[in-house]
Amino acid sequence: MKDLLGIPRRIAAISRNTFIEAARNRAFVGLGIAAMGLVASSMAVSSLAIADQMARVLIDFGLFAISLLEVVIAVTMGVILVYKEVDKKTFYLVLSKPIRRSEVLAGKFFGLVGVLAIAVLLMTVAWVGSLILRSVPLKPDMPQALVLAWLQAVLITSVALFFSSFSSPILSGVFTLGVYLAGSSVPVLNDLLSLKKGALASSEAARFVAQTATAVLPDLSIFNVGKELILGIPISWGYVGAAGAYCLGWCLLFFGLACLIFERRDFA
Amino acid sequence: MDDVIVVDGLRKVFRTPFRRRRVEAVKGVTFSVRRGEIFGFLGPNGAGKTTTLKMLVGLIRPSAGRASLLGGDPGAIEVMSRVGFLPEQPYFYDYLKPTELMDIFGRIFGIPKAERRRRIDMLLDRVGLADSKNRILRKFSKGMLQRVGIAQALLNDPELVLLDEPMSGLDPVGRREIIDLIAELKSQGKTVFFSSHILADIERLCDRVVILHKGVVEHAGTIQELLASGDRKEILVSGSFPGDWARLPGIHGIDRMGPQVTRLLVESGFANDILRALLDARMEILQVADRRISLEELFVRTAGVGPVGAKEVTS
Repeated sequence: MKDLLGIPRRIAAISRNTFIEAARNRAFVGLGIAAMGLVASSMAVSSLAIADQMARVLIDFGLFAISLLEVVIAVTMGVILVYKEVDKKTFYLVLSKPIRRSEVLAGKFFGLVGVLAIAVLLMTVAWVGSLILRSVPLKPDMPQALVLAWLQAVLITSVALFFSSFSSPILSGVFTLGVYLAGSSVPVLNDLLSLKKGALASSEAARFVAQTATAVLPDLSIFNVGKELILGIPISWGYVGAAGAYCLGWCLLFFGLACLIFERRDFA
Repeated sequence: MDDVIVVDGLRKVFRTPFRRRRVEAVKGVTFSVRRGEIFGFLGPNGAGKTTTLKMLVGLIRPSAGRASLLGGDPGAIEVMSRVGFLPEQPYFYDYLKPTELMDIFGRIFGIPKAERRRRIDMLLDRVGLADSKNRILRKFSKGMLQRVGIAQALLNDPELVLLDEPMSGLDPVGRREIIDLIAELKSQGKTVFFSSHILADIERLCDRVVILHKGVVEHAGTIQELLASGDRKEILVSGSFPGDWARLPGIHGIDRMGPQVTRLLVESGFANDILRALLDARMEILQVADRRISLEELFVRTAGVGPVGAKEVTS
C-alpha cells in the first residue's frame, strides 16, 4: 500500500526534472520564442489576404501554427526522452533508485506533456494578442480547438516515447513523423478506399496497405478542427472529451509497448 | 552475522547487436557480503566488476544465477530504498545544481522536505562541496562530480552502500577524505561494497576481498587469508644444481647472486620437496625465509601479468 502511494510521488519527481531540463534547454527556449513569433507572424500573412478574409486567415493560420509547433516540440523532445538518458548514462543513477522503469517513463512522458501545455499557453497568448491587435473577434470555441491541438501533441509524444525506447533519435523522429503524416491522412485514405476508381481500387496491394494503415494508425484528423472553428460550427466539450478518451487509449497502447521494451533493456 | 549480499552462480552473456556474437562478461560468480563489513571487489579492467555491480542494482538482468540484496531482489523498490549506489564515473543532469539533483533523488526516496534539505546540506558539507552547492553541475570538475556522486549515494541513509571506483578522479586529499568517510560508514554499522584499482586503499580498508578475473572469482577471503594463500619462501642455496631448475615444482623465481649462491622464490606448499631435492643434490642451504606477497602482487599475478619482483625461471 505504501508502495502504491509512492508511485505518483516518484513519477512527479521525474516529471519535475524533465520540465526543468526543457526550461533550461536553450534550444527549447529558442524553439518557444520562434513558435510565438510564428504565431504572431499570422498578422503578416493576414495582410496578404483579401480584406474580408483577414479574420479567417488569422484564425486558421494561427491554429495551424500552434498545432504544428506542438507536434514539432513533441517529436523533437519526445525522440530524445529515453535516448539522451541512455547516451549520457544519467539513467545509471535514476534507475538504481527505488523507482520502477515504467514510473521513470511515465515521469518523462508527463514532464513533456506539461512542457507542451506551457508551450500551447504561450502560443495562445501570441495568437490571441495578434487577433486583438487586428480587431478580430475571438471565437467561443477557440479553447476547445487549443485543447485538441494539445491532445494531438500528447498522442504524438507517446508515439515518440515508444520509438525512442528502442531506436536512435533520427530513426525515432522519422518513424514518429511517419505516424503523424499517415495518421493525419486517415480520412483521405478512407475516401480513396470508398472510391470505385483510382489507384486503391485497381491495385490489391495498395488497397491492403491503405486498409492496414487506417486500421492500425491513430486518426489524427479528429484533433484538427480548424474548418469548424472558421465556419462557426460548434465544437462541444463532449467532442473534446471523446477525443481525449481516444488520445488516452492510444497513449496507453504506445506507453505500454514502450514499457515492455524498456523493462527488458540492459544498461551496460 | 547475516549476509546482506548473496551472489550465487551469477552469469551475464551479452550479444553484439548485429553479428549476435556472445560475450560472457560474468561466468558464474559466487560470493557473499556480511552485514557491517567493508568488502573490496577487485579485478583488472574487463574482469566483470562493473557488470556484476550493475546486476546487483538491477541495471542489468543476469543471464543465469541469482543475487539478493538485503534479503530481496536487486532493483526492488523496498530493497533499493535501503541501498546507496555510486556508478563508475557518474553522469549527472548537468543543468542542475547539486542541491536540485539531490532534491529530485530525495523526492524519489520519499524523504520529507525538511529532512531532505537537512540531509542535502549535511552531505554536501561532508564531501566538501558546501561552497559549490548552488553552482550548475556543468561547471564542476571530475573530482567535484565524484564527490556529488558519493553524497547522493548516502542521501537515503542506506544500510548498504555500493561504490564503483569511489576514488576515481580524486586528488590525494579527496581520496583521504573518502577513505575516512568509508571508515566512518563502517563505524555506523553500514555495509560498504566497493570496487577499486587503488590496492593500498583496499588493503587498508577492507575486511574481505574478492578478486575477479575474466568473469570468474579467482580469490576470495580476508586480506590475511589471501596474502597467506599466496605466501612464498625464499631459499638461499650454495653450490651448483645438476638438473633443470624449471623441472622442480613450485619455483616462481630464480636469482643468481654470485658464481655459487642462488636465491630461489618458491611456493610455500612445495618448499619441503624443493629442499629435499636440493639436499639430495648435495647443495648447501644457507637460508630459508618467509616472503609475504602484497595485495598488488596477488592482483598482478591474478591478472596474468606474471610475478612481480622476481626474475623468470631459468635453468
